[in-house]
Amino acid sequence: MTSSPLDNLVRIGQLKLEPPAQAEFDGLVRSGQIRLTDAGNLSLSLESRFDLAYNAAHALSLAALRWHGYRSESRYHVFQCLVHTLGLKAAQWRVLDQAHRKRNLAEYEGDLDVDEALVEALLRVTQTVAASVVALGPVPIA
Amino acid sequence: MGNKTNKRTISNVRRPAASAAAHARISVADALFTTTQQRVLALLFGQPQRSFFTQQLIELADGGRGAVQRELERLQQSGLIVQSTLGNQKHYQANSSSPVFAELCGIVGKLLGPADILRDALGSMANKVQLALLYGSTATHRDTARSDFDLLLISDDLTLEEIYEALTPAEKRLGRPINPTLYTGGEFRKRLERRNPFLVKLLAGETIPLMGNKDDFIAAG
Repeated sequence: MTSSPLDNLVRIGQLKLEPPAQAEFDGLVRSGQIRLTDAGNLSLSLESRFDLAYNAAHALSLAALRWHGYRSESRYHVFQCLVHTLGLKAAQWRVLDQAHRKRNLAEYEGDLDVDEALVEALLRVTQTVAASVVALGPVPIA
Repeated sequence: MGNKTNKRTISNVRRPAASAAAHARISVADALFTTTQQRVLALLFGQPQRSFFTQQLIELADGGRGAVQRELERLQQSGLIVQSTLGNQKHYQANSSSPVFAELCGIVGKLLGPADILRDALGSMANKVQLALLYGSTATHRDTARSDFDLLLISDDLTLEEIYEALTPAEKRLGRPINPTLYTGGEFRKRLERRNPFLVKLLAGETIPLMGNKDDFIAAG
């Protein structure tokens, strides 16, 4: 289950190898799906919906990476790997990239300025990620 | 000095030129230069302070290796660009002591500048874009080779994914990331009313119009 672009990232220290575990994968998928559902709740503020969608995207993207037998502590790398782990389109990954930068500005500089287009795009992309992660099926047994 | 010329030409003189170009059957850039020439000149004279590796130019110009190398050879032999060797790699840079250096920077800024490349990339969805502005360091010409292109787009119909998709070729040609911020007309006006700090700062600063006119758009609200 090794794909070479991901192994290259292991070689340069951006990813770690770690065999997948079904319970961890299921936990991440469940956590992602719950947050994704809540992110669609229009009675919440745009900022809260953004937080929920962003965290859903991260949990689901990490699930995909773990399914393939890798791990990363860097959220950015977890998103970046989606092109390889789930075959996400470049334009979709760029939405996550923008969300990640906005989230960092909010987290570290107190400047949260999210817009509807970003939150809606983030929800669509995260839905795609969720469907692709579920379609992976049970984690491969080593 | 090249930058000063760029600044004036991109932001002001360009607008009437754009409307004239709409009726032209062939663009001025296409009449004067081949596609490869346009791309090589846009890189070297669009960022005259930067030097490029041969391989970098081939990739950014998105042309064939041979075609790009032939252009570089001709430009170097004529003294329009200079070549230096760093390690075992050849570097090329616009030659600022060439007698037509400022003029070429001006022509490139006017015909092949980032604003034109971005406008071109957005062209396919022009009818869905109400306003498109370039802002930030690239609009104020305080950009470095690593600066992103910051774009504000107002559209009621487009998604962020469609915009990223459309901008991919421009990113490749410009060799730098483009960061679009997308608002609907309604959201733009709501933010304007609430004096949203990001938007207020953006509109107070220098911007380069790509599509639509910001004053007309604000006034129409």
